[in-house]
Amino acid sequence: MSRFLFPRWTNALLPFVLIAGAITPLYAAFFVAYGLSPKTLDVGYQPVQPVPYSHARHVGKLGLDCRYCHTTVDRTAFAAVPPTQTCMNCHTQIQRDSPKLEKIRQSYESGMPMEWVKVHKLPDFAYFNHSAHVNRGVGCVECHGRVDQMEVVYRFAPLSMGWCLECHREPLDRVRPISQITNLAWDQKTELTPEERDSLIKLYHINPSENCSTCHR
Amino acid sequence: MSSVKNRYWRSVEDLTSSSEFRDWMHREFPDGASEHLTENERRNFLKVMGASFALAGLGLAGCRRWPETKVVPAASQPVNRIPGEPVYYSTVWEFSGFAQPLLAKSYDGRPIKVETNPSHPWGGAGVSAVTQTQVLGLYDPDRSRTVLARNTHSSYPAFSEFFNNKRAALRAQGGKGLAILTDFRSGPTYADMIARVKVAFPQATIVAWEPLARDNAILGTAMAFDSPRRVLPAYDKARVIVSIGDDFLYGSPDAARWARQWSVGRAVDSVDPTKQQIARLYVIENGLTPTGMSADDRLAVRQSDLGIVAALIAQGVSAGADSPALQTSIAAIANSLAAQSVLDGRGKEVIDALIADLKSHHGTSLVTAGVSASKTTHAMVAAINHALASEGATLTYLAEPIEASSAGFAALCTAMQAGSIDTLMILGGNPVYTAPADCGFANALTKVSTVIHLGIYADETAVNASCSWHIPEAHYLEAWGDARSFEGTLAIQQPLILPMIPEGQGGRSAIELLAELLASDPVDGYSIVRRTHVGLSGLTGPLFESGWRSWLDQGYIPATNWKAMPTTFNAASVAAALQADQAVLTAPSSLELVFLRDMKVWDGCFSNLAWMQELPDPVTKITWDNAALMSLQLAQTLGIKRGDMVKISSEGRTVEAAAWPLPGYSDASIGLSLGYGRTGPGVGATARDAGFNAYTIRTTAHPDVATGVSMTRTGATYAIAHTQDHGASDALDPKVPLEGIQERLPTLIREASVQEYRKHPDFARHVTHVASRLSLWNETNLDGAQFRWAMSVDLGKCTGCSACVTACQAENNIPVVGKDQVLRGREMHWIRVDRYFRGSDAAKPESFAIQPVTCMHCENAPCEQVCPVAATVHDADGLNTMVYNRCIGTRYCSNNCPYKVRRFNFFDYQRREPQREEGLMKVKPEYYVEEGPDVWLRMQFNPEVTVRMRGVMEKCTFCTQRIQAAKIKYKNAWAKAGGIDTGSSNFSIPDGSIETACQQACPTGAIIFGDLNVTDSRVAKAHRSGRSYQMLEELNTKTRVQYLARVNNPATARESSGGAAHPDSHGHAAHGHAEG
Repeated sequence: MSRFLFPRWTNALLPFVLIAGAITPLYAAFFVAYGLSPKTLDVGYQPVQPVPYSHARHVGKLGLDCRYCHTTVDRTAFAAVPPTQTCMNCHTQIQRDSPKLEKIRQSYESGMPMEWVKVHKLPDFAYFNHSAHVNRGVGCVECHGRVDQMEVVYRFAPLSMGWCLECHREPLDRVRPISQITNLAWDQKTELTPEERDSLIKLYHINPSENCSTCHR
Repeated sequence: MSSVKNRYWRSVEDLTSSSEFRDWMHREFPDGASEHLTENERRNFLKVMGASFALAGLGLAGCRRWPETKVVPAASQPVNRIPGEPVYYSTVWEFSGFAQPLLAKSYDGRPIKVETNPSHPWGGAGVSAVTQTQVLGLYDPDRSRTVLARNTHSSYPAFSEFFNNKRAALRAQGGKGLAILTDFRSGPTYADMIARVKVAFPQATIVAWEPLARDNAILGTAMAFDSPRRVLPAYDKARVIVSIGDDFLYGSPDAARWARQWSVGRAVDSVDPTKQQIARLYVIENGLTPTGMSADDRLAVRQSDLGIVAALIAQGVSAGADSPALQTSIAAIANSLAAQSVLDGRGKEVIDALIADLKSHHGTSLVTAGVSASKTTHAMVAAINHALASEGATLTYLAEPIEASSAGFAALCTAMQAGSIDTLMILGGNPVYTAPADCGFANALTKVSTVIHLGIYADETAVNASCSWHIPEAHYLEAWGDARSFEGTLAIQQPLILPMIPEGQGGRSAIELLAELLASDPVDGYSIVRRTHVGLSGLTGPLFESGWRSWLDQGYIPATNWKAMPTTFNAASVAAALQADQAVLTAPSSLELVFLRDMKVWDGCFSNLAWMQELPDPVTKITWDNAALMSLQLAQTLGIKRGDMVKISSEGRTVEAAAWPLPGYSDASIGLSLGYGRTGPGVGATARDAGFNAYTIRTTAHPDVATGVSMTRTGATYAIAHTQDHGASDALDPKVPLEGIQERLPTLIREASVQEYRKHPDFARHVTHVASRLSLWNETNLDGAQFRWAMSVDLGKCTGCSACVTACQAENNIPVVGKDQVLRGREMHWIRVDRYFRGSDAAKPESFAIQPVTCMHCENAPCEQVCPVAATVHDADGLNTMVYNRCIGTRYCSNNCPYKVRRFNFFDYQRREPQREEGLMKVKPEYYVEEGPDVWLRMQFNPEVTVRMRGVMEKCTFCTQRIQAAKIKYKNAWAKAGGIDTGSSNFSIPDGSIETACQQACPTGAIIFGDLNVTDSRVAKAHRSGRSYQMLEELNTKTRVQYLARVNNPATARESSGGAAHPDSHGHAAHGHAEG
């Protein structure tokens, strides 16, 4: 019978087993709460793009407006990624032979589209509309960060529902005049007084909805 | 039974309160709906689940944090193409020779939905269900995608090479031996191509034929006038409409248009209700149709007796008063022995009332005959309308461009049998399946050496051993063309997408194939159509270009409709025809079989479209099958029960079909719709084995009705998936006595005669008494909402056509579940169109009621109270929203919904092919693979609406995506204009700028959607109407959907009526009646 019993020395392990048993659920809870949070998983996502396009150079250094390429951002739900044609507006003249632009030139000549990797991705059941935000004084920088300083674009914000609601509940810090919408360096918290920001909220009747049907259809 | 005066019932089982019905009612979902794995299947299930876990493991191995998705912008952006923004193009779809004016919605290059083209003179009247479903046809996975040579894969270049040799041979003989069989095409481009073929091949035979033609109307008017005429009715101008077997509200390609006209006369909106007048509709028919259900007075007589009825009416209104010969021949029919037994007491009463009405409405009455009525009936109807001075007032005669076709087709078959046809080109159509049984078409085909078939599907004709070549046809959304609508307006058929058929595999339209036959230049559809219109318009250069652009833009060519063609009524010719046909018209009564036109599958060409298969028939509520419809009395006499298989024999041919006794059917008449029962090779997965093939018994001589048939039970039974008892809000407790249930039904359906309405314009508000407004829970506070979305459904205008159901399905990505699932009560349609019979006699219901039911968007919603995870909640505008990503599938909400409008996804239906047979495990392995079966069908999805997955509840959202789009559009415009500096404190949405999908498709405009906060919005006015009522208002749910009670105008007395159910002695103010 005795061979079915644990040997006596195993008694020494008992405290460790108990401690591990107590810690594991805590760890699991901690892991789920923080490890699987969009703040951990999503922020900083920085895929390699087929062409090493630098926003830092084009926006930060050369001063292109966001809307030069993302033309539909103030009219439609999507801030369209530009067609190859847009690149070639300049690059037929500048950097004509750069090897980095080989794929762009190929696309331009063949008519086959570029395949960029999507950075800001929402779940299929969430519907975000760019025009509804940029026409109401929510600047690009609020969600996309300092794209003008990014060599390769990465995900700046978690884009989770809780994060959306933070702003929908407290829009005061995040509104700016429409004239400064694409100015990524401009900060309304330092440039405007809370009273001025409040008057902007009144101007555009900003009444951010927390209804499910606003984003889920 | 007779103790309840005001009886409404859904089915005979409901009326008799059979145990099956009680069982069905007792459960939220029927027995076994939640657990239907048999022991065997449980084992299979474990096996498959094991396999799928293994697959999932493989997937995990290659897992990275981000499933990479691509953004693919165009290399060069087309002008005006904005990613994610739908673009509308005007186009037309030709349905059996009649152009349907449409606006097709293109989303990132994919056509996903069609709406009516409101700027077209023939448009603006909704879109029928079958027209909308054609979009699905574009993406049908069973579409033919390759050229077939003797049923083996080939290519278009190979066909071209063959055709080149063939052409030379044909040309040498002047086209001798060449025959072209087409379906009906009305466009001038097609006519031009045919004219060119006739020049190049003068001896060729050209036959335009379809199984569901209008031959009788064409031949009948040809008798009455000097040449065939197309009758263009104006139902909106008629105060008395008499339909002799004419299902004009539903049963024709242009039914949506007629329904819109009819609804004008049914409007109940007089400023002074005491002077309210509405038009009256009499229907005499053999079976039961949506038109019959909408009738004020309806009679059921055999189809073969419609001629006698027409003669009785003709005699009554003294048709042919100036022609003794015509009077004599009409009298000979009306006074014949057979005529004595056609009408019973009630029948005589209705016919007398009808004749009196017609006599007092000269110039404001209209008599129509159905396409299936005999040609002499059509001639008599022309005589009646002549006597009533209808021409120019309530109808117009146009030239008839389509010729009667059945004789031409029979002659072609004979020529083929005789071996005198060497080359047969079949442009559209599936004659191997649809040809009359006596033609022996398949046999005749073996005598033809070269058969070339152009079709959307590689159907029975394409895979027939005698078919030499099959070319995949381009869908109407893929090809250029032109077509004329019923009244002649010409429109360009503008494609939205290139043929979804691989390069070098055809994808040609009929005109392109004819161009190939002619070897003429140009050969592409665009150039051919333009050439025709250069010729037609007489314009050239920039003038033509600007005209062409505007025709495409507005969707039609102005002033191309046909002008009225003056007629001379030829009494002598009608008299002679009646005399010649007298024996047939007055043949002694015998059992007849009527070949019905099914508006879901038409002649069978749409039978592979799953939306149509799953759409409950407006009358029978049958899905996925057809059935032999008959009266209760006939079924009882022959000992037939619902679902029994019967064998119907006529002239030595037989068909077996499941029996479906239907209240309201005429005795001694069987109805069986065409287009079902397709089996064997060449039939798509959806169409296969659906229903019973009536073509096997249909002959050239009797294409509409066969008399002297016999019917016997075979002993077998057949399960039919129907929805007529689904979703009933009554009879929850088996112990509730039947009378108690019946007493509640008049409160669901409220109606009154126009006389009662004049006395009590607010009759609908006095049917129930809402004792108190106490709520069981805290009511949602909707104070201060900017919008209060609401809907009004006018039951007086609803015909039950179910266009709304299909529109909703197209807009909201509603899956098709399959027959097996419908049998279990799991259909997913967000709108259910309830149909009630009324009266105490099951065999002869005195009237009918139709009620579309969708989510009521209760302000005080019972579903929200029971959801454990708050997945269904109110938004500030009062929408009862369903949050799919929260739902965990408890189904408590559906259990607590008094209207039974919530639908549960038992499976990932979008990834699963609809199943006919029972059995969970019959899904294909693709179901368990991430990509799913066929990506084609997904291309129809509306990207604006979430595709729901397994385990979530769903229901009507009031098209919340359209509301959001409008809100964003108008608020953006307001903010861009300066926001509050514009002087208005907030943005507003103009009334009518948001239309729900059902509203947009509704032919009669019965559905109105809008904002109750705007006091003069159409919906707010409708809700204030005295006819407006809430369903089950005693539950204090405060529904945002309200119904407008129906007002009838019967000429003869009914047992009772909705309004009169409420004793007049009640004072109006004494009770707390609903105030919206």
